[in-house]
Amino acid sequence: MIDPSHGGYDTGADFGGKLLEKDITLKLARELRKELDDRGIASRLLRDSDVDLALDRRAEITNEQRAGLYIALHAGRPGRGVRVYAPMLSDAQPPAGRFLPWESAQAPALDRSKFAAQAIAAELRKKDLAVSMLGVPLRPLNSIVTSAVAVELAPEGADLQSLDNPRRNSSVASAIASAIAQLRGQTGARP
Amino acid sequence: MIPRHFQITIGLVLLAILLSGLVVLRLNRREEAMTLRAEAAPAAPQVAGKQERIQVLIAYDDDQALRWRPADVFLPADRGLRVRETLRAVLAQYLQNPSPHPLAKGADIRDVYFIGNDTLLIDTTAQFADGHPSGILLEEMTLASLIETLTANVPGVNKVKFLVEGKERETLAGHADLMSFYQTAAVHELAKEFE
Repeated sequence: MIDPSHGGYDTGADFGGKLLEKDITLKLARELRKELDDRGIASRLLRDSDVDLALDRRAEITNEQRAGLYIALHAGRPGRGVRVYAPMLSDAQPPAGRFLPWESAQAPALDRSKFAAQAIAAELRKKDLAVSMLGVPLRPLNSIVTSAVAVELAPEGADLQSLDNPRRNSSVASAIASAIAQLRGQTGARP
Repeated sequence: MIPRHFQITIGLVLLAILLSGLVVLRLNRREEAMTLRAEAAPAAPQVAGKQERIQVLIAYDDDQALRWRPADVFLPADRGLRVRETLRAVLAQYLQNPSPHPLAKGADIRDVYFIGNDTLLIDTTAQFADGHPSGILLEEMTLASLIETLTANVPGVNKVKFLVEGKERETLAGHADLMSFYQTAAVHELAKEFE
């Protein structure tokens, strides 16, 4: 499940010159879907137009669809390159019987999410991109029951327009798709 | 030919309109000035206390790093007030010009509330969240710097949650989770990755 973060009234970060995070994430998501199609991997976009979608609803749809992997796409300052985030459960509650607490439903999949984040970071590095990896408490990753990661494009230094560079973004999408293909081969997970 | 008395009446009406316009303009300016003063004013009064040198963990956007540095702060004996003033010492660094990690004017701590001895609710102003730059890294750096500074200077806090104007909010500026309680031990691990 590919999540182009933000949308509609939620513009995400504003990079000036009409360059908004919500538009960058949607373009990157479409690019990633194309790359996955080329590799024979089925994928879905949580939004394919400029619409509002609540964070909890994004998690609900992903869980309902029983996706094999959830990947949220973001763009933000500062720095350069690409940042890959795995979820961090700061205050995980124990499950109540068969039910997982919404705020820490990710707990059983946490190790798989970290593994997926490492795989994506490794493929991005092969494209000569500056990559950093962190575990962060980020919504809605913590409410997703399957492997969940977030990827954030950073501008190339002060050049904010680099966030909209089709060549660079195609390279990022290709690296993520390669990592997903590897993960699928190793775990049989559906994206 | 327009009668003289009619000319005088029109003249007086025009003069009245002009004067009313000037009065309205002046009132608007006064109101704007009052709003600006209110935004710049602290959300809670400054407190008296002994000046102490503490260590604050500051976010540096350019380096994507958190670094400790000293700050001289008036710290009262009351534990809740100490927490608030410690957090304010961090925000004061961000509200300087130039700032290593700019936040919106008016970003402040309204109050803090202890639940038991080890759990803390931090109530922030609307400007803290509404004017916070959007971005995963920027938001996480703000929260990590506040929580780490707090635990370094006020021992015994294990869990922290942020409120905005007394209410829960989903995220800080579209990314960092504000609904969950943060375990200070987990934030310590996160902060180490930035140092």
